Amino acid sequence: MLSINFFRYKIALLNVLRNRRRSLITLLSIQIGVVSLILFGGFVASMYEGMRENMIRSQLGHLQIYQAGFNQYGHIEPEQYLLTQEQVQQVSNLVSGLAEVELLTPRLDFSGLITNGNQSVAVVGNGIDPDKEALLSSAITLIEGEDLFPEDQAGALVGQGLYNALNANIGDYLTLLASTADGAVNAVDVQIVGAINTGTREVDNRLLRINLSHAQDLQFTQGVSRLVVLLKDTAQTQIVMDKLSQLFEQEGLTLEMRSWSQLADYYHEVVNLFDGVFGFLKIIVLFIAALSIANTMMMAVMERTPEIGSIRALGATRHEVMMLFLTEASYLGLFGSTLGVLLGIFMANSITLAEFIMPTPPGSSQSYPIRIFVEWTVVWQTALTGVLVAVLASIYPAFKASRLLINQAMRSA
Amino acid sequence: MKLVNLAKVSRYFTLGQNRVCALKQIDLQVNKGEFLVLKGASGSGKSTLLNLIGAMDEVDEGEIAIAGKALGPMSDRQKSHVRRDHIGFIFQSFNLLPVLTALENVQYPLSLRTGGKAAGASSHKENKAKALAALERVGLADFVNHKPNQLSGGQMQRVAIARALVTEPDIILADEPTANLDSENAQSIMALMKQLNRQGITFIFATHHDYVLEQASRVIELRDGCILQDKQRVAA
Ligand SMILES: Nc1ncnc2c1ncn2[C@@H]1O[C@H](COP(=O)(O)OP(=O)(O)OP(=O)(O)O)[C@@H](O)[C@H]1O
Ligand SMILES: [Mg+2]
Repeated sequence: MLSINFFRYKIALLNVLRNRRRSLITLLSIQIGVVSLILFGGFVASMYEGMRENMIRSQLGHLQIYQAGFNQYGHIEPEQYLLTQEQVQQVSNLVSGLAEVELLTPRLDFSGLITNGNQSVAVVGNGIDPDKEALLSSAITLIEGEDLFPEDQAGALVGQGLYNALNANIGDYLTLLASTADGAVNAVDVQIVGAINTGTREVDNRLLRINLSHAQDLQFTQGVSRLVVLLKDTAQTQIVMDKLSQLFEQEGLTLEMRSWSQLADYYHEVVNLFDGVFGFLKIIVLFIAALSIANTMMMAVMERTPEIGSIRALGATRHEVMMLFLTEASYLGLFGSTLGVLLGIFMANSITLAEFIMPTPPGSSQSYPIRIFVEWTVVWQTALTGVLVAVLASIYPAFKASRLLINQAMRSA
Repeated sequence: MKLVNLAKVSRYFTLGQNRVCALKQIDLQVNKGEFLVLKGASGSGKSTLLNLIGAMDEVDEGEIAIAGKALGPMSDRQKSHVRRDHIGFIFQSFNLLPVLTALENVQYPLSLRTGGKAAGASSHKENKAKALAALERVGLADFVNHKPNQLSGGQMQRVAIARALVTEPDIILADEPTANLDSENAQSIMALMKQLNRQGITFIFATHHDYVLEQASRVIELRDGCILQDKQRVAA
């Protein structure tokens, strides 16, 4: 039953080559569609990645581990949901056994007031391990001054916005007020060693980072709020998370864990928004390409009306005529998509290499050069879509061709 | 059994308000081996009649049967198969596919049989051999790889004849096949068709040219959609 009509493919191919100008126009519209989808898809992907890695490497890490109940109640009574020294030790032992893990670092969160004598500003503070945090927070940039070192017991890094608001200089001493774990108020002196930029303005307006031991002294505690895990590869987040929860269960540790993805609400909002924009753009681009293809195919049908009459007279069925035009369209789709993919990859790499600087994204405080990823899923899906659109757009012209009345088609010679 | 059988066939065309009756109540039988010529003034209905016999158009009244098969109840697909398997066509303007070579043009109707069920379906290689033989029969063995635009009018019409022959149809329909040829070419095309007729192929012709009449075994004259005269001639 299924035997191939070799001539159908040959005639369709020769017809593509026959009216070069028209075929070129059709190819061009498929190509433009494919290229723009690849470029936009690659740009969005690079933006997602930039945002993701920036969040991971400035604040979130890949995974965070907390005392059980921390995420539900911790914001009301943070002091009740700290990880104990013993738990930290246990977790460190477990985590250091995993090859995927780059490092593990503790943080103690606190909120407080910082005053320079005549004004006070509310701050969101972290007690950190400066050595490890320097590795984790590689996306944080130092604007002024120096990094924090463990030896600077009183040293503090402040967010850029906070630094400006305090009107302070590097080396100034300020007073930090915070409530202790048992509800009293305590104060310590801190010395500003540097101003930092995390990439997120909201955060920079409130951020204060001091040594963990200093923060623990301030709060009269030995505990930490969270342990932040940095992995070698973001793609392994889920795997490591699964492994760890298994290990915790085996060891009888009742802990909570969150991945960067669970913590990055803003990231997901942006991704959803851009996916929507991308989808809309895709529809418009494909629609325009489809119109152009349908138009050129319709012209081909009109031009070849007498030929259609002839082959029908020779015994070709309507189905055969339809297949002849759809085959032609799939060649155009295939060539157009292939050229579009090659051009798209070339342009994506060229634009990335050219390092054009992008305008600063909203809510961010750093600028980046434009990068366009060659996303293989986007590439093959777009190529397939290109072929599909060419064929779908040709269905109506092909149908028209198949329905021509034979004697009238022959007359128009 | 009659090869072609028309019973009370009428065909109307409506152009705006006007209803033109192109064929009126035609009764016609054609036997195997005939060399039938349709003549008549322009607009008398010759082409309309050929199109109906060729299953390319539909009657408004009456019945047509080709090789014993009634066309009336057939689907478009079935009629396509009747054209493919029983009828060969030769047209005034040759109607070769410009992208294909002479050989491929002749092979094309055979290729339409590759689709499974068709009787006489054969392989690509066999089809090619048949096409080559058909081109030899019309004297074009040296032009197999020429494209239509590299051939003269007479040569193109010979290719078209080979294309009509190659499927071994019951009948070949030719609508003014010599109208676009000079008289020398026209004569030799006619001689070729007559020779093929002697080898057993049935022909139905529409023509204005008188020298065609001399070859005819039967001449039917149409006027305003009616058969005015139906004359048997002694075979030339
Ligand atoms: N598709 C059509 N639409 C409308 N009228 C048509 C159509 N085909 C044929 N006719 C009309 O039917 C009549 C017969 O036309 P037909 O083409 O059969 O004549 P003919 O004998 O072949 O003429 P000619 O010698 O000029 O080729 C004419 O009046 C013509 O105008
Ligand atoms: Mg005519």
